[in-house]
Amino acid sequence: MAEDKILIIMTSGPETPRRCATPFFFATLATAMDYEVTMFFTIDGTLLLKKGLADYVYPKEGGKSAGQFMREAIEAGVKMTACSASLELHDLKPEDLIPEAQIVGGATMWQMAEESKTVLTF
Amino acid sequence: MAIIRGCNLPEDLYYYAEKHLWLKPLGGNLFRVGLTPIAGKLAGGKLNAVTVRAKNIGAEVQQGKSVATLESSKYVGPVPAPITGIVKRGNEKLAADPNLVITDPYGEGWVVEIEATRWEEEKAALLTGPEGLAEYEKKLEAAGISCG
Repeated sequence: MAEDKILIIMTSGPETPRRCATPFFFATLATAMDYEVTMFFTIDGTLLLKKGLADYVYPKEGGKSAGQFMREAIEAGVKMTACSASLELHDLKPEDLIPEAQIVGGATMWQMAEESKTVLTF
Repeated sequence: MAIIRGCNLPEDLYYYAEKHLWLKPLGGNLFRVGLTPIAGKLAGGKLNAVTVRAKNIGAEVQQGKSVATLESSKYVGPVPAPITGIVKRGNEKLAADPNLVITDPYGEGWVVEIEATRWEEEKAALLTGPEGLAEYEKKLEAAGISCG
């Protein structure tokens, strides 16, 4: 059983690859400390949830892709949520996203923030 | 000392084989805990940080719950408590040199000391001695893990 909840809000996307590893790394690390971790993707962050896209985003040349960082986080138990309005921003349909992503409204973000011990924004 | 599949696994220690951790009885119910070379290898062989959660010091942790974390550029994950007990202290030397865990796993690179509170119930699941190591070897063989 996880002790406390953490929310990580991800606004960075494929246009800023260097900002696309640490948020996932920190999320995975928090699960290793027995936190219950949710990532909320909005603005450009949502694009990383588009099927296959994150596999072509390299935070460091020759290093792991953002997709690999994201999969490690998912395997560690990090819950991925996407802001419904940001799908519209990028003309994405729910079926365009990876199956692990749950689409939620902005109010759900506020609720998750309220329930979380810590909220980080990237 | 025993070398199993290229991994140095001393016979006088206890092993929590699921997570490749060792335990050394220090007398009374106190046990020192560290990573076997197998865990070091699985973590990528080079670490950026080994952090014992300060909140855990002096508190009881349940077997399997996280007592510390390992970070490298290739890996991030927990060090679970191999036994239930009170975390007495963490190895302060790891803050300056996390790689002691890899370079001197059974010496300066220990991670935490735990005072067991359920040793009698939990020790049966730990591996030790020649028989225990033979069983550990089978597990490593099945998982295709070797050192070196």
